[in-house]
Amino acid sequence: MASAPSKLYSDDVTLVVVLLDTNPFFWSTSSFSFSQFITHVLVFVNAILTMNQLNQVVVIATGYNSCDYIYDSSLASNQSFGNGRMPALCANLLQNLEDFMVKDEQLGKEESEGRITCSLLSGSLSMALCYIQRIFRSGSLHPRPRILCLQGSPDGPEQYVAIMNAIFSAQRSMVPIDSCYIGAQNSAFLQQASYITGGVHHKPQQLDGLFQYLLTIFGTDLHSRNFLQLPKPVGVDFRASCFCHKSTIDMGYICSVCLSIFCKHHKKCSTCGSIFGQAQSDDASATNRKRKTPDL
Amino acid sequence: MPQVKIIAKNFMDMVASLTARDLDRLYENPFICEAIVRSLPPLAKKYVLQMLYIDGSVPAKMMEEWVLPDGFTKHRVAIDRLVQLRIFSEEKKKEITYRLNSTFQTNLRKHLIYGGALPREPMPPGITARLPSLEELEAYALGQWECFLLQLISSAQAEKPTNFSSSMMKIFQRGLLTQRDKEAPRLTESGFQFLLMDTNAQLWYIVREYISNSQERGVNQADLISFLLELSFHVAGEAYNINTVNDLQRSMIKDFADLGLVKLQQGRKESWFIPTKLATNLSVSLTDSSGRKEGFVVVETNFRMYAYSTSKLHTEILRLFSRVEYQLPNLIVGAITKESLYNAFENGITSEQIISFLQQNAHPRVAEKIPSVPENVCDQIRLWESDLNRVEMTPGYYYDEFPSRDVFEAACDYARDRSGLLWEDSKKMRLVVKAEVHMHMREFLRGQNK
Repeated sequence: MASAPSKLYSDDVTLVVVLLDTNPFFWSTSSFSFSQFITHVLVFVNAILTMNQLNQVVVIATGYNSCDYIYDSSLASNQSFGNGRMPALCANLLQNLEDFMVKDEQLGKEESEGRITCSLLSGSLSMALCYIQRIFRSGSLHPRPRILCLQGSPDGPEQYVAIMNAIFSAQRSMVPIDSCYIGAQNSAFLQQASYITGGVHHKPQQLDGLFQYLLTIFGTDLHSRNFLQLPKPVGVDFRASCFCHKSTIDMGYICSVCLSIFCKHHKKCSTCGSIFGQAQSDDASATNRKRKTPDL
Repeated sequence: MPQVKIIAKNFMDMVASLTARDLDRLYENPFICEAIVRSLPPLAKKYVLQMLYIDGSVPAKMMEEWVLPDGFTKHRVAIDRLVQLRIFSEEKKKEITYRLNSTFQTNLRKHLIYGGALPREPMPPGITARLPSLEELEAYALGQWECFLLQLISSAQAEKPTNFSSSMMKIFQRGLLTQRDKEAPRLTESGFQFLLMDTNAQLWYIVREYISNSQERGVNQADLISFLLELSFHVAGEAYNINTVNDLQRSMIKDFADLGLVKLQQGRKESWFIPTKLATNLSVSLTDSSGRKEGFVVVETNFRMYAYSTSKLHTEILRLFSRVEYQLPNLIVGAITKESLYNAFENGITSEQIISFLQQNAHPRVAEKIPSVPENVCDQIRLWESDLNRVEMTPGYYYDEFPSRDVFEAACDYARDRSGLLWEDSKKMRLVVKAEVHMHMREFLRGQNK
């Protein structure tokens, strides 16, 4: 009968932050339509909420210009419940999603002609982590959080630094990032994110059965993961993007002071301002602060 | 460890013990499907959802491939539970296969796709008079519950008796109180254990008794369970029209109001019921989610005890093992004495129970300290208890006048093998064995004599 005061609820109470890719550039080219996708996701969200009364789901839309919270189950529970046909959850979420898409598109128009085809994953990851931090600090008891990225559009190499920072802060706060990639090529960012934070990465083979994939793999709570077989990473794409041209590289140069990555040799580090010596120069090794490492 | 039979972990053990027909009928109600899914062990929940869109049956071999070697026992527990609740039906042809109960499957699918609706619409705020706030409602629920408990442990103490008939009350008291002829009823060991449990666990116990008793009153258990679970899906603090429930449920609601599960209110024309937190927490399988109540007891090293409480129930509980010296409006002062403790031990309360009660209900100021109950007090309580147990009684049988040393020795070995030998005197060839070995021993000796 003794009960140790714990900050966690029992084993399987979870908070899932779902990041939805709403990038119209991707969905217009995909064979799997956005409405089909949303149907699968809505049922999945419902399933998570059914599993435990205390489970919580937050949905964040990742657009190509902005991102925003579109659903939070802890707020919606006490509101009016739908208008007959549609349950509150769907109506609420779809309404917010529509508002978000319109706003996102307007933001795109204001800027120069749309050259961007990737979505703002770094932004939504950061929002998810902020939300989770707030939960950590809010009360005595909190559910175990995890992040689920449903991503379709390709990686944006220019977001490399921001995404890596988000990944490392997730790792620090022990929040696994699960990722489900529905696009054509696999995403290096998401593979790394799941690998580093101990989450699961999977690229479904048949998108028609997305719901079953979501439920079987990503519906598993953190407690049950100790007992179940889940997809293991086959090979993780660890390639980085250079800081100067934001292109993905296999080999490059690293600043020995701040670890910034460059694709070409520079005289000075653009991040921390350290001055590098000449390549292969002997006097460079005499002074410790000037050194260049051709390595990655 | 004292007997634990009184702790009803949750309701589902009870649901699992229902007959197959009742269970199948229960699953026709979508809310019950949802409540039952929530009460399953995590792995079992996972399996149900995984199987939700599989129409055929799945071989047991295949399911075993889902788990890691470490999780195999958990896997078995989950599957057994599902089969026990008839959510999975087992088919044995060439190999064992499992299939999801079809009614259950359809209902759960519907629930996932259309979302959870509420069992009934709350009344519009125009009709109802002022509704109590959530805090008021919680205070009401706890007050009602405490009043019920007080009546339970000592009927004379209650200020306003509940509507439960005395026969009903007797049933609740069964197992918790013993009554020797002409004496006032006394708490049994499990009764004390009951008082130490948190509110939600206590509630489960009472609800369980209520339900198991229902058959004697001609009410179907499944109906009761289904209504209780349905009730737990209502929104706490909203008013629901009482005309939406049938007669049987109406009589249940009256009983539930006595327990503090619902509050009844009457307007000019309509009357309605307002579920409280106690009711909505019912379907949560974790019994400890209700949040621990704040403690109130301070024990000092000089064996004095100060309890900051206005509750009569608390006074009654403290009186069980301490001498209450005086009572102020918000404070009970008592002392833990040898006599008071001997009284408690005589009633079957153990020292560990008392200490854990003091620890669990320690006032927040002392609860921060370690230990929250002074060590010398804990030790003394244990010592006084062990004083009572200096002599251990074991029923036994005495044997002597063995015909030969061989027979005697064989008999000794025989008893020793069955770990029933209590004492032997090889010089005079005498021995004592435990009473339970006596029958075997007699058989054995008869065999030897031949």
